[in-house]
Amino acid sequence: MGSNGHHGETWIYAEQRRGKLARVSLELLSKGAELSGKSGSGLVCVLVGSSVEHLAPELVSHGAGKVYVIDDPRLEHYQNQAYAAVIADLVREHQPEIFLLGATAIGEDLAPCIAAKVGTGLTAHCIDLRMEGCNGASMLHQTVPGWGGGKRVDIVCPELRPQMATVKPGVFVVPQAKQDRRGQIVRVSPRLDNRMFRARTVEITEEAESDLPIEEAEVVVAAGWGVNALGSMDLVRELAEVLEGAVAGTRPLLDKGWITSDCMIGQSGKVIGPNLLVSLGASGAMHFSTGFERAKFVLAVDQNPLAPIFQSADVGIVGDLREVLPPLILELRKLRPA
Amino acid sequence: MDTVVCIKQVPHPDHFSQITLDPVTKAIRREGVPLVMNPVDRHAIEAALQLRDKFPGKVTVLTMGPPQSREALEEALAMGADEGVLLCDRAFAGADAYATALTIAAAIRKFCPFSLILCGCETADSGTRMVGPMLAEFLDVPYATNVRAMKVMDKGICLVEADMEGGCMKVELGLPALITVNRAVNEPRIPDVMGIIGVADKLLSTYGANDLGLPAEKLGLTGSPTRVAGVWEFKKDRRSEVLKGNPKNASSDAVARLREWGGL
Amino acid sequence: MDYGFSKEQEMLKKAARQFAETKVAPRVLEIDDKGDFPFDLVRQMGQMGLIGLVNSKQYGGSGMGHLSRMVVIEEMARVYPSLGFFFQAGNLLMYALENFGTEEQKKRYIPDLCKGAKVSSFAVTEQSGGSDPSAMMTTASRNGAGYVVNGRKSYITNADVADVLGFVAKSEGGFSALFVEKGTPGYEVTRREPRPGFRSIPVNELSFTDCHVSQANLIGQEGRGMAAALPTISAIGRTGAAGVALGATQGAYEGALKFCKERVLYGKPISDLQALQFMLVDMNTDIEAARWISYRPAVLMDQGKSVKDLGVDIARAKYLAVDVALRNCLKAQQAMGAYGQSPEYRVEMYLRDMLELLTAGGTQEIMKVVIGRAITN
Repeated sequence: MGSNGHHGETWIYAEQRRGKLARVSLELLSKGAELSGKSGSGLVCVLVGSSVEHLAPELVSHGAGKVYVIDDPRLEHYQNQAYAAVIADLVREHQPEIFLLGATAIGEDLAPCIAAKVGTGLTAHCIDLRMEGCNGASMLHQTVPGWGGGKRVDIVCPELRPQMATVKPGVFVVPQAKQDRRGQIVRVSPRLDNRMFRARTVEITEEAESDLPIEEAEVVVAAGWGVNALGSMDLVRELAEVLEGAVAGTRPLLDKGWITSDCMIGQSGKVIGPNLLVSLGASGAMHFSTGFERAKFVLAVDQNPLAPIFQSADVGIVGDLREVLPPLILELRKLRPA
Repeated sequence: MDTVVCIKQVPHPDHFSQITLDPVTKAIRREGVPLVMNPVDRHAIEAALQLRDKFPGKVTVLTMGPPQSREALEEALAMGADEGVLLCDRAFAGADAYATALTIAAAIRKFCPFSLILCGCETADSGTRMVGPMLAEFLDVPYATNVRAMKVMDKGICLVEADMEGGCMKVELGLPALITVNRAVNEPRIPDVMGIIGVADKLLSTYGANDLGLPAEKLGLTGSPTRVAGVWEFKKDRRSEVLKGNPKNASSDAVARLREWGGL
Repeated sequence: MDYGFSKEQEMLKKAARQFAETKVAPRVLEIDDKGDFPFDLVRQMGQMGLIGLVNSKQYGGSGMGHLSRMVVIEEMARVYPSLGFFFQAGNLLMYALENFGTEEQKKRYIPDLCKGAKVSSFAVTEQSGGSDPSAMMTTASRNGAGYVVNGRKSYITNADVADVLGFVAKSEGGFSALFVEKGTPGYEVTRREPRPGFRSIPVNELSFTDCHVSQANLIGQEGRGMAAALPTISAIGRTGAAGVALGATQGAYEGALKFCKERVLYGKPISDLQALQFMLVDMNTDIEAARWISYRPAVLMDQGKSVKDLGVDIARAKYLAVDVALRNCLKAQQAMGAYGQSPEYRVEMYLRDMLELLTAGGTQEIMKVVIGRAITN
């Protein structure tokens, strides 16, 4: 049983687009399982859309004990206030202890509206969540990076419920799917009215994204402003190609037009957790390095031995990119099977 | 068509590393750190100014903050905004996004009639992206966030394109409404001399808790559902091995380390 | 350091810096390389109101004053000294007309010059010597209801791009100040001087050959031309040179400081090495002194003090600011070693540009003559 008579459930918003579940919703299920496991209460997903019930089993196989399916043709596209209204109705009815959403474009648009409708606290883009006892009751401690990442701030929502938080994709991992898991699928008829559609999503268009989304790549080669001296991204792309990785970069390169916004790493860009991250010519300012904190191994190359990037790296090479990249690429080619 | 632009004064992003934590009191120390208008707020102001060209009306710029926030309002007035509103009161201090939105909503309801509210999509310091949508909810108006293009049509309808991962969302909003914009929406003008001189003649009102008619328990830290439980300095723990030698040797050493790690 | 700027001046400085950093900085190398006059930047500055700071609102200026003008020149020069230099020459005729011209002349020219839609120049110097204006040989002889002008002027900034040129010529009663529009028969820009610095601002030789100039183009009274030209050169030309020097030395200093903090030799940033640190300290201190000595006459002019009474102060400001700038730009080059000569770091451009200030608005030695006369009397 949770605090104040709440049922103690942990809820997760299962974001879907065009009949496909957002990866972050699955990632949240792993943390959700941990949180609900501690309280011994249910792990529930909320799925909203039109003809989306077929996605529910995937949520169950990834750990959801129950899935509320709010299905209506008018909800085919994400409609912010309509989605928020129907979800808030459900929240008020079942009073979960915790409600998590992915900090995606939709998540960050939706979560504050739900929180305001329900009247509860929300913490944005958390990088960690844990239950901690406080004054006798167990509370969700929501950790966020502060001031460009040089600090960590723990936030709590002591009284109001549910404790809401958004989490960036890539912070948690997708749990193993187990096909034999069982879960309840509950259809909910949404109570809709026209006022909920005063902002009406007319169309969602796909735009060409660069090859492999960087948050899904095992290897990412991130270029910083120092790459400017190379005159182009060619050597960077060659290195990425040898490592079979994705190319990413920092804001100055985005401003220069050498990378697209979906490839930007950092506090206002993407947070990624690849296997290997190679940083080239980035000095390693906090707002960039927090973007790849979760990388398993970091190799950095920069010409300034005092650059902070080396504190964020496992192995570093000090040198001019023009002189280091060619031999580095050569050596890495030797590693690859022919 | 009257608009309200909500802005915030934040520590200069280039100086974030100068912000320190008092080891004893755990208080954030930011003395000597220069303050600037939140960068993306300029784009919101620019959007309002461009709208005024097409649909004449008043552009009011509003901020909730300490007395120094006035400077940000003056900069907005120099850009061309017509009036400024400063919400300043000790009682507002410590407000989280929820309490902030509630306070601003009360002020707008009382003092600033509007067809459109414009905000920057996020602040450079906390970057929560929460105040906009919460403000819309408290004012009971439709909203769209992260807008990269907008067009107000004659019939009180606004068409926007909102940025999403891998694409964009086209939304139609009936006015009055609230929109948060990102940098792509326009290029903000630099204040010109006439604008700068004109600031002195423009109205800048300051309101406190008593003017808003909100109960004290809804304001500031008391009115905030969330609160800070702890702050600490963050240190990374990496090996930080810097390889020496000429580029060729350093490269082969680096690759050897990668092989040892075995993750490839 | 708190210079006592008003709120408007603070906002102006910020706006000028924003313009310089976002609209000018990215194009400096390209513009300086090509050497073409930056008409579009001048137009943009005009639209922002940055060119008419000393002209009154009535004629399209803002009346913000001399200190404001100096601050703007500094901000432009910090990023691209040539752009600061544009003001040094481009504001001369604007001031002369505002203070000595007729209502009709002011209405006709000042608004467009403030907007940056038109550019002006002012010619005093001749081969006979800029430092000895009384030896000038250009004549303006009465001809009916106007003048016929004959002669040559040299080292005239902006002449080639000027829509209107002010000038001084020998006439009845002494010297007269007049102006002539581009394209007037008999007025021709004959040569562009090759210069190492201020590459995008033309410095020209021009000639008058039986050039007919109307009576309506006389500035002030016939024979009283120096009464208009000398205060103009002092209030605008010399202060402008000081402003350019201040901005350029600030830019060079910042560049050197950043470089020294990042450049590592012997395991530490070279800013830790005492010889370099003390060099930077001297630069820093010199700049502060140059600023105060340059700002003060500007403040006094804004308070209504007559330019004539400030002649010595202004000469001192020009002399010191340019001296400091030359010294500092050279030091910055040295602090940066070989990188100091790389165009990418731009410090070599600053040094080249400062050489031009040795003579702009009057030579350093003439400044000393002005000061020397005053102190020995």
